[in-house]
Amino acid sequence: MPVKVLIVEDNPVARSFLSRVVRESFSDALMVTEAGDLESARRQIEVSRTGPSAGEPFKLILVDLELPDGNGMELLAELGQYPATKIVTTLYSDDDHLFPALQCGADGYLLKEDRFEVLVEELQKIVRGQPPLSPAIARRLLTHFRHGPPGPGGPNSGAMPLVSGLQTSRPVVTGRGAPLDHERLTPRESEVLTYLSKGFTIKEIASLMGIKWFTVNDHIKSIYKKLNVSSRAEAAVLASKQGLV
Amino acid sequence: MAAHNAFDPRSGSARSGRFDHSPQDSSHHSQSPGQGVDSHFDSALNELAPPRAWQSSRWMGWRLRLLVLLTLLGCIGVFALTSVVIGMRHVDAMWHVNPQGQIELGDSNEPALKAHRGHVLVGVSAGNDPRIWPVDPLALKRSARWVIDDVMRAHQRELHAGLATAFARPLVKFHFADGVVVSVEPQPHALVGLPVIYWFLLGVALALYMLAVIVLLSRPSVRNVAYLVMAWCQAGNLVFIAVESTLELGLPDEFLALDMPVRMAFDLITAAAMVNATCLHPRRLPGSGWIALAAWAAALGPVVLLSMQRLPHAWWWAQCSVAALGLLAIALLSWSYHLERHPYAIVLRRFGIVTVSTWSLLTLALGVSSNLPGMPHNIADVGSMIWYVFLASLLLLVPFLARSQTFMREFSLLAAISTVATSLDLLFVAVFSLGQFASLTLSLFVSLAVYSGARQWILNQLLGSSVLTTERMFEQLYRIAREVEAQPERTPALLSQLLRDLFDPLEVNLVERETAKTRVATDGSSLLVPLPALTPSAAPDAALPASVMIRFAHRGRRLFTSDDARLTDRIVEQLRRAVHFDRAVEQGRSEERLRLAQDLHDDIGARLLTLMYKAQSPEMEDYVRHTLQDLKTLTRGLAASNHRLSHAAAEWKADLAQRLTAAHVELKWSFNFDEDILLSVVQWSALTRVMRELVSNAIAHAQAQQLEIDFTFANDRIELVISDDGVGREPRLWSHGLGLGGVRKRVKQLGGQVEWREVVPHGICCRVVIRNISAAHG
Repeated sequence: MPVKVLIVEDNPVARSFLSRVVRESFSDALMVTEAGDLESARRQIEVSRTGPSAGEPFKLILVDLELPDGNGMELLAELGQYPATKIVTTLYSDDDHLFPALQCGADGYLLKEDRFEVLVEELQKIVRGQPPLSPAIARRLLTHFRHGPPGPGGPNSGAMPLVSGLQTSRPVVTGRGAPLDHERLTPRESEVLTYLSKGFTIKEIASLMGIKWFTVNDHIKSIYKKLNVSSRAEAAVLASKQGLV
Repeated sequence: MAAHNAFDPRSGSARSGRFDHSPQDSSHHSQSPGQGVDSHFDSALNELAPPRAWQSSRWMGWRLRLLVLLTLLGCIGVFALTSVVIGMRHVDAMWHVNPQGQIELGDSNEPALKAHRGHVLVGVSAGNDPRIWPVDPLALKRSARWVIDDVMRAHQRELHAGLATAFARPLVKFHFADGVVVSVEPQPHALVGLPVIYWFLLGVALALYMLAVIVLLSRPSVRNVAYLVMAWCQAGNLVFIAVESTLELGLPDEFLALDMPVRMAFDLITAAAMVNATCLHPRRLPGSGWIALAAWAAALGPVVLLSMQRLPHAWWWAQCSVAALGLLAIALLSWSYHLERHPYAIVLRRFGIVTVSTWSLLTLALGVSSNLPGMPHNIADVGSMIWYVFLASLLLLVPFLARSQTFMREFSLLAAISTVATSLDLLFVAVFSLGQFASLTLSLFVSLAVYSGARQWILNQLLGSSVLTTERMFEQLYRIAREVEAQPERTPALLSQLLRDLFDPLEVNLVERETAKTRVATDGSSLLVPLPALTPSAAPDAALPASVMIRFAHRGRRLFTSDDARLTDRIVEQLRRAVHFDRAVEQGRSEERLRLAQDLHDDIGARLLTLMYKAQSPEMEDYVRHTLQDLKTLTRGLAASNHRLSHAAAEWKADLAQRLTAAHVELKWSFNFDEDILLSVVQWSALTRVMRELVSNAIAHAQAQQLEIDFTFANDRIELVISDDGVGREPRLWSHGLGLGGVRKRVKQLGGQVEWREVVPHGICCRVVIRNISAAHG
């Protein structure tokens, strides 16, 4: 059974280039599906779910942000529960564009102008669970977790005194269900983020903190997840407030 | 004078509304600026006075009834007086004194008298009565109060008594010097026949009477009682003058007998009340009770003595006592100002100085000219009358000082100038023996010159003037608008600064009191300016001060007027507009830049990307990649406004580390700074590209194993040292291609220097120094 990959990219040259990058990155048998816009991407995903050859979902999805019929973030948001590694491929390297994409559930991002070898390496890293994190995005993450997502604090307030590294004494409101710790970073995680925001590399951070480099990576992965979860919870809160749920 | 804050003219148009039982009334009261408690200036000024017991409706109803009653009484008084005046019989003729000190017939509507115009009158007799009442110029003098000599005053009274007896008969005979005797029948006045001056004076008197009542009833206090006393006394003076203006010859004896003591009492009581009021306002002075008591004693002493006929030189006593009390009041106001720099004291002192000096001038002129034969008595009468009108206008003006009452101000100024003119006229005649006509012309000229030339100056002296010139104000306005745009949280401080420059007040406070619009508070000593929401982001927060309170304009030398409030409102409005405009411009610019950046990025970026993927050679691919990166730097610079140095450094480091790692070059990065400044877009993009170019160079040509980057920002100076351990040699011989030329260009653009040199044992070191970073910023 080949691994299914979906590449959503409007520029055909870039599409084939990315396809080469993907093929180069993995030794498995691949089935690469290409889509030029959001609509065909949705159709492909729908087919993979319910079509005659249904069963096997896409394992990897590369999404460009600027698409003719919308923004790739829309697709990311729709695929919130979809069990694929979702990667943003873009020319934009600034946090203003990338941070919202990460919030929408991207597992990493690739900058399209990078060299072929660099892209291959980065892609492998993401799939292995070593997503990139630029200083600007690290800074955004820090402020995001320090101030909490915008909106009423009620159900968002965590109840984990152990992990209150950044927030010491917020009123603890146990919302419906399980305690929501997605909003807080562990002290280690925020330390990693702080170093990243200052431009240190993973290796440097590992030696500064006296831990292994893959532990640093684990922290970054966890931060990604928390961002994703907190964004989803935020969306849920918003939706319930608007009476959608 | 103490009544200024008692009456709020905004409700004056509906005076009765102020006293009715409507529920809004009490709320109106609590918002009235006059409700501030003067004696608690420093503590309670910013708080509204709590509602008082006397504001209950019962009290209001009581006051309303009293007001109606007193109004009725005033009107009845006017009617009664007029009917009495009409009842007094007179002969319609104009008399004047010729230079020889004889009475001449000026003009008459009586046919019998008309023929004898210009003839000298020697006596008057009545009907069949053989007695002839001789006349002299004193008979034309109407007011006993303004006859200087005691003997003359007694003589005047006799004359008038005789004439009045004659005029009471059905037929009066006028004996002229040429022996002609003319018989005329005295007629009662017709209602329309009363002179205009009579109605005018009576009107002013009634207005004064009513105003004093309203002032007192709206806020009963000792100082308002003093104001009432002053106003009523002056109204009484005006009534006397009005009645006297209706008769040429033959004032009734009972009237003349009252004239001197009553009017003197009026003047002295006014002066004493003035002293009493200045003791209490603008602030209560130490020992005010004793001072007031002494003033009242000094005033009432001469009155009592006069009524007991035991006061020689009564006129001089009266004049000097009034002047002395006036001077005392001025001194008290100076003291009060010294104790607390309340502008009210200084404004009142200016009024007091004008009043007392004109009074003294008038006294002096009359005193000097009294003994001259053929003195124009009419002028003396007119002079004193104008002075009383002037004082009355001042009294009418005082409650409204904090509102701009241009008309009243001009009127009182004119009255003061007229007093000066008549006094000068008398003085010229008396001292320089000028002819009447010449002296009148000269004094009028002098007065008019003073009036027109010094009018503005006098007005400014009376009420002070603005400090800030228009030009400076505009400059300020736009400067502040820019600052508010940049730092919205500084709005209160900036607005305070603007108001400080505008009014030069002694105090500027931020208070939490809300006010809908700018208004004058506490009888003109304070101005309450609401803080405008200049920026939309500034959410209304209860903890924020809501208003700016400025007090004691012009370093406590001036009162705020409603003009000032309007001016402030307009300035704040202008400021708001300027901020809006600035923001709109800035927003437009940044939107435009953003759009431009987006377009460049999307269109050119996508094409360059395609080009890069299709590149034939790795060199070409790298070249396009660099172009693409430059484009990204450019568009990012366009989109963002500025970059914090530490953030920029972090990104440089991350970016360079990634590239060098990919090229298997070790990076030794060191970054030090003494201040985390904001780099401008130009600085940021130039530094970014310089660094990228130098690193690319090291990767591409030097075949280095290690790259050392040392970035230091200290003392406003950037020093960037990039050294490699590669194979590069002889930097002087390098061809300055696109890469290095670009580096030179960008460093020069920042006003810095760049140099390359060899390092031992091998490698190249590039050193970039840029000075005055913050000066070039923005």
